[in-house]
Amino acid sequence: MTTMTAQATQVYQVFIKATPEAIWDAITKPEFTERYFYGARIENTPELHVTLGPDQSDWGQTPTYEFEPPRRLVHGWRSAYNPELAAEDESRVTWEIEQQDGGYSLLTVTHDRLEGAPKTAESVSGTGWMMVLSGLKTLLETGEPLAG
Amino acid sequence: MNDDDGVFRALADPTRRHLLDRLFERDGRTLTELESELEMSRFGVMKHLRVLEDAGLVVTRRQGREKLHYLNPVPIRLIHDRWIDKYTEHRVSALAELKTTLEESA
Repeated sequence: MTTMTAQATQVYQVFIKATPEAIWDAITKPEFTERYFYGARIENTPELHVTLGPDQSDWGQTPTYEFEPPRRLVHGWRSAYNPELAAEDESRVTWEIEQQDGGYSLLTVTHDRLEGAPKTAESVSGTGWMMVLSGLKTLLETGEPLAG
Repeated sequence: MNDDDGVFRALADPTRRHLLDRLFERDGRTLTELESELEMSRFGVMKHLRVLEDAGLVVTRRQGREKLHYLNPVPIRLIHDRWIDKYTEHRVSALAELKTTLEESA
């Protein structure tokens, strides 16, 4: 397999059998995020994106730029779980939720403005966002977090 | 939608796998860029990209007048979770049982 240079813009998409409201809750409330987001407790308010690590350690906060429940959330991103990554420039994450037929919603996550954060880009690509999104799908469709 | 068949069908073609590999190396590419690396008509490449997009493996974004193509690896991850994990787990537990049985009878 050829090695990949992590991109300054990354797009991830997944269909989830859930309402936009349920997805919105799952991405903005800490009691949900801790079950699929590497154990992190993330709270999104209209002003701030606040993250606590699994051991309740402070993983910092970034601004919320757009907050339109249950369709669109845009916030700053800093990989505070790793000091080397946290020192890089802030990047941006956009969550878009579109209702589909048959009880499905389409969730699109765009992580961009990563030009000044190459190590963060490397860290979140590959399995990074994929694990989060497949875990989120499993949680919403079955009520269970992914095993392991 | 949420359809393993579409993903397997999309992956069953060497040109489409080649396109995914090109996007894996660097994505956010235009049709013109992708076309320049393939011995194929623009229409042919478009058709293959369309199948990949329908399967959810490629996501497009408009930027000004250009349409950029991004690799979306999530459906492959879901197939991995659904098909690969399940069978490797089974094999591991079968081996574990074999070990227990052999050690008990020894």
